[in-house]
Amino acid sequence: MKKKLRLIGAVAAAMCILWSCEKDDEDKAVDNDAPVIDLGADAFPVQCSTLKRGETFTFKTKFNDNVELGTYSIDIHHNFDHHSHSTEFEECDLQPKKVPVKPFLFIKSYDIPSGQKTYEAVQQIEVPADIDPGDYHFMISVSDHVGWNTIKGLSIQIVE
Amino acid sequence: MKYSIIGLFSLLLITCSYAQEKEFTLSGVITDVDGKTLPNVSIVIATIGHSSKSDYTGKFSIAGLPRGKHVVALSHVGYIPETRTITMENTPTDLGTIVLRKTNYAIKQVDVLGDIYATTPTGGLNKELVDQQYIHRHLGGSLMQTLSRLPGISNIGIGSGQSKPLIRGLGFNRVVVVEKGIKHEGQQWGADHGLEIDQFATGNIEVIKGAASFLYGSDAIGGVIDIKPEPLSEKESLSGSLNLIGKSNNSLYGLSANLQGRTGRWIYGGRVSYQRYGDYGVPTDTVHVYDYPVLLHKQKARNTAGKERNFHVNGGYATENFQSVFYFSNNSAQSGFFANAHGLEPRRVDTELHDASSRDMQMPYQRVNHLKVINRSSLKIGFHRIEMEAGFQHNFRQEYSPYVNHGYMPPVYPDSMKMPSNLEREYDKRIYSLNLRDRFSVGKHTFIAGINGEYQHNQIDGWSFLIPGFNQRSAGAFLYDRYRLSEKVSLHGALRYDYSHIETVRYMDWFPSVVSEENGVTETAYLVRANDLQRTFNSLVWSLGTTYDEGDFSIKANVGKSFRVPIAKELAANGVNYHYFSYERGDPALSPEQSYQFDAGLRYSKEKLCVELNPFYNYFTNYIYLNPTPRHDHFYGAGNQIFEYTQSRVLRYGGEIKIGYRFSEVWSAELLAEYVKAEQLSGSKKGYPLPFSPPASFLANMSWQPNRGFLKDSYFSVDLRLAAAQNAIVPPEKKTPGYKLVNVQAGHSLMIYGRPIQINLQVQNFFNTRYLNHTSFYRLIEMPEAGRNVVLSLSLPLNFKNKQMI
Repeated sequence: MKKKLRLIGAVAAAMCILWSCEKDDEDKAVDNDAPVIDLGADAFPVQCSTLKRGETFTFKTKFNDNVELGTYSIDIHHNFDHHSHSTEFEECDLQPKKVPVKPFLFIKSYDIPSGQKTYEAVQQIEVPADIDPGDYHFMISVSDHVGWNTIKGLSIQIVE
Repeated sequence: MKYSIIGLFSLLLITCSYAQEKEFTLSGVITDVDGKTLPNVSIVIATIGHSSKSDYTGKFSIAGLPRGKHVVALSHVGYIPETRTITMENTPTDLGTIVLRKTNYAIKQVDVLGDIYATTPTGGLNKELVDQQYIHRHLGGSLMQTLSRLPGISNIGIGSGQSKPLIRGLGFNRVVVVEKGIKHEGQQWGADHGLEIDQFATGNIEVIKGAASFLYGSDAIGGVIDIKPEPLSEKESLSGSLNLIGKSNNSLYGLSANLQGRTGRWIYGGRVSYQRYGDYGVPTDTVHVYDYPVLLHKQKARNTAGKERNFHVNGGYATENFQSVFYFSNNSAQSGFFANAHGLEPRRVDTELHDASSRDMQMPYQRVNHLKVINRSSLKIGFHRIEMEAGFQHNFRQEYSPYVNHGYMPPVYPDSMKMPSNLEREYDKRIYSLNLRDRFSVGKHTFIAGINGEYQHNQIDGWSFLIPGFNQRSAGAFLYDRYRLSEKVSLHGALRYDYSHIETVRYMDWFPSVVSEENGVTETAYLVRANDLQRTFNSLVWSLGTTYDEGDFSIKANVGKSFRVPIAKELAANGVNYHYFSYERGDPALSPEQSYQFDAGLRYSKEKLCVELNPFYNYFTNYIYLNPTPRHDHFYGAGNQIFEYTQSRVLRYGGEIKIGYRFSEVWSAELLAEYVKAEQLSGSKKGYPLPFSPPASFLANMSWQPNRGFLKDSYFSVDLRLAAAQNAIVPPEKKTPGYKLVNVQAGHSLMIYGRPIQINLQVQNFFNTRYLNHTSFYRLIEMPEAGRNVVLSLSLPLNFKNKQMI
């Protein structure tokens, strides 16, 4: 009887040790922080920005990561049907819903030189002259070296 | 390794004694404390593994036993198992009246059957057993939510009515759900897919916590939920029951009615269940989808209403030695997805449309129909018990969402398309299964030899693409042996071989994508997302265990190898999941997942105290999972982040503790604790845990069962759950803070016109606590779990005799 209790005690102690082990693991720091898209004063476009068709604009955004940035991508697609929402707090005035004829579609991914903790992305993007003006989404996606990812979905407008 | 196991088996076989002796008969009658006879009590001659059941008058008689000492184990759900050692010298040997006492626990949360007397040969594995009464007392939105109170069990849920099991942090295709002996096949891989099972139509449920591939084949690498059918009528009768249920949080109402009977050797039964519910309530006015605050109408998760209709019919023929029953069931459900986000994608919502009614289901929503036809047959010949299950299942799942052009899809849905513009996904799956087993005893050995076969045919439809259609066939054969070393010690061994073949069906996009941009020239093409891939897998797995049982103390240990064949999605995914902003890419070269697991169980139970410890240690040589990479792809991936199926070495350990203590006749307490830790040992996520790791959690229960006067047959109990924060995360998860939760359960059995009406009342999330569940589908968009929920259920038994009510 006593033996059994002792055995139970021993196993309970073993389990407790197992339990407490968890705390030590915190030292084995893995990167748990996602990169940051910094839409600061220099950034363009930002929420509710306007682009002109037939013109080239400069995309400019700062990315930060605690360890190392990975890659980023830009996706510009129409939101004429108001299908989805931006990820931002601020609401923009939307134009009435309409059926797309020749909406602008821009999808591209870019590398970031390795070893960067901060990076200022600058790209010249041309908006063709023959595309539909209206409400668009400007999606920015940036990852870090282990696959944490941050997305910003901005509402923008393309005007004549 | 393989040879040593085969060698061991041969040794076990050689030690069998084939001596023929005079055969003896053992008989008796089983009653409860009040002298009422107990039918359906399981009687196991533990020494030789032979089993039988008491008839409707509580009597049993087992013929053909060899001379000598035998251990007879009697067990019945809700009663304390009774073990007797007898010496067979005369025939017939009559044990007289055996009285079974009810279990000490006010809440029969876990039936305390010793493992060696269990109905499935799980050897030294850890398991939990749950009955219908437990389900009624802890009824959640779905069966898996109900079961997640058990230590080591959690669920991956979406909304209030859909969830799938998670056993010690492993889920999806790593947990096998077996219903009426046949493996349930739906779309297990999807986090937003529930389990198509009617929780009213279940008998006892056995949950195996740990790898059990040797019995159930591929996929049982994390555990098994074995749902037994409702017990069949034992005597000439026609009876039924009516269950009514209401829930305050999502304004659910439901009913389930069944009828079953027996005429001579013919048994029959049927059940209908219906549930309809509205949007579920969360204790917050605002949910943040990214930085955008979504205002909730009346604190309701917009568009999460649903309905469920289930229909069951069964009929068969049963004699003492032969039984064959057909089960037919159809489960159909429809439920909405939270309208403000489809997956992780924020959606603009027509609030006027959605908030007009909290009970309507607008897009996006899912519709699932699951049809099952199963035949279960068994035949007893001497010490052989031959069992067969044959099944056909048809799982038909559709997800509806208005067409949104993602990536390179055309801006306007073309008229020329054959599929409707709002059919986003469709999975059409047909499954044919067959199991054959023979249980037999030779000397001190109890063997189970069996084969399983399954054929799957999967088709897809809809304008979005995630996994290709595929055909899969698999076959397996196993031998299990329990060798009774002494009265106290048993050894268990099992060996299994499996073959599996998968063929994926070629899939080409219905729209052209940009495939290259060189010197300002853009080239487009219709991308082939899946090729005609063919893979064949072979696996050999084994298991060895021991159980030691000494009255109030028992110990068990098991070590084994398990496997899982990679699924079509892991091999052949090559598409963009726009709702997760991910481009998911399979790896056609993946090997079957292999895992080695050690399980132990220690149990001490005496008078007022019951303590149980179930630690485990598990190593995967190649755990397959969807790994988010740092890369983006703007051709095949339409600009999304690349998620690749990869394999890495993984170490997992943890366990559960259960302590029950009975202070007095009326007061009792229970403590349950669970902990699991997983770590990847190789690959790009070295040092990270596995996704969906449940946090450590602790549940304390206090129960009061007055058992006298007006309060006879009443219970009142309080659960306090403390869940730790989950800071061990892997991309793209988020850290989840800890929480405290209080659930209250009460019940009373009321006699009306001589019939007992069982009333169960629950208040889930008593303090309307706002908390996040780490394993919830909506965790990533910060949606809190359901608020306070009052659940009231009534159960009315119906008895007909000569077609007249009494």
